[in-house]
Amino acid sequence: MPNIPNQSGEDGREVVLAADGVEKTYSSWLPWEPDVEVLTGASLELRAGEVVGIVGENGSGKSTLMQCLVGAIEPDAGTVSRPDGVGWCPQDDRLYDRLTVDETFRLFGEAHGMTDDAIRDAADRLTDRLDFERFRDRRVDRLSGGNRRKLTLAVSLMHDPGVLLLDEPYTGFDWETYLSFWELAADLAADGTAIAVISHLVSERDRFDRILELRDGRLARSGTQSGASGDHEQLEASADG
Amino acid sequence: MLVALPPFVTYVYGAAMGAFPDVGFVDGSASTYGRIGGALFATAFLTGLVGLFGTVSAATADRYLAFSGFSSGVLFGTRVLVTTGVALVAAAVSLLSLLAFGTDVAAVAPAYLVLVLAGTLYGLLGVVVGALVPRDLEGSLVLVFLADADSFLSGDVLSVDTDLVTLLPLHYPHAMFESAVLDGTVGTGNVAPALAYLAVLAVAAGVAYAAATGRGWSL
Repeated sequence: MPNIPNQSGEDGREVVLAADGVEKTYSSWLPWEPDVEVLTGASLELRAGEVVGIVGENGSGKSTLMQCLVGAIEPDAGTVSRPDGVGWCPQDDRLYDRLTVDETFRLFGEAHGMTDDAIRDAADRLTDRLDFERFRDRRVDRLSGGNRRKLTLAVSLMHDPGVLLLDEPYTGFDWETYLSFWELAADLAADGTAIAVISHLVSERDRFDRILELRDGRLARSGTQSGASGDHEQLEASADG
Repeated sequence: MLVALPPFVTYVYGAAMGAFPDVGFVDGSASTYGRIGGALFATAFLTGLVGLFGTVSAATADRYLAFSGFSSGVLFGTRVLVTTGVALVAAAVSLLSLLAFGTDVAAVAPAYLVLVLAGTLYGLLGVVVGALVPRDLEGSLVLVFLADADSFLSGDVLSVDTDLVTLLPLHYPHAMFESAVLDGTVGTGNVAPALAYLAVLAVAAGVAYAAATGRGWSL
């Protein structure tokens, strides 16, 4: 049974990602290095159209949780169900330095099984929306850190996934891009895309329907629900967990 | 590097060996033996570097691309094709260098194919090294040490009295290349073990690549 069921589940929205009792321990081949227990039973349900923040202190296992949720690594125990597939924006930009922005779209679009027209449309739409269309002919290794981040985000979005899992997505964004990101996220959520944003720091908590904290390998509720707090209070993962 | 390294290494290896004119157990010109070793080293090392850097620099991107939908088998096949392409070019430049420095090559086509084989072997070895030592500097140091020692020990310049040299990747290609250059033949007894070595390395590279791009492990 999920330890963090969606409190808005009564509205009948479809569950698009469900994780139950996810455990992950990193073991070393070297006998003198201790095992590192990262996740000890993290559970989560995401429903269509909701925006969830997941916070946690440095080293709490947020990226490990994200990789378990998207299927990039196998958990030691527990189950993850993602019936509609996921889009994943990893914390580090996993792009090919020698490709241009447009070539990157084509490569990842082909990987997603998209047609040429669909790839072109997605590239047009996302570069315009995130304001980096003028860099489409530029090689990835000649982009600024912020524009590389935009490209990673755009690649994770281009196939219109039902669930979008974003790991520190706005690192390096300027203020305008940060606002554009949230406008885009709001539009996607309105169209039914579930979005989970993982960060060590969550600003503007009223942008989220729920905020969860990863602590001791499990997810726990943190802060208040959307609407209960109209301020722009900043929730920071507490140093003492 | 593809253009500059093969002629430089071929020339220097030949000149170095030429400084020892009375090597008793070498039939023929010591310089020729040196150039043969240099051409093999240049082809193997350059292709190995491509295999290494391709694995080290692109492992996380390949993993992300596999996550996005491409099969790991296709990605690995593409990497092998790229390294084979580099082996074709490096072998051509190395062979041309050998010819340009005055070595008569008795059978050009077989010599070229053997160089391509040597390059491909090291391209696969580069993938394995890149998976085990996923850092550019450390990986290239491992590779340059291996290729240097291999091209020297696998030749007949020193009569190394141990079967361990038969485990070196260039052991059989070196014998085949020497035969092709000097006699115009490729010793048939060396072809099967060389291809077997290639098959074993291909499997090892596939496993290493899958591990590097699937879970990102390293020693």
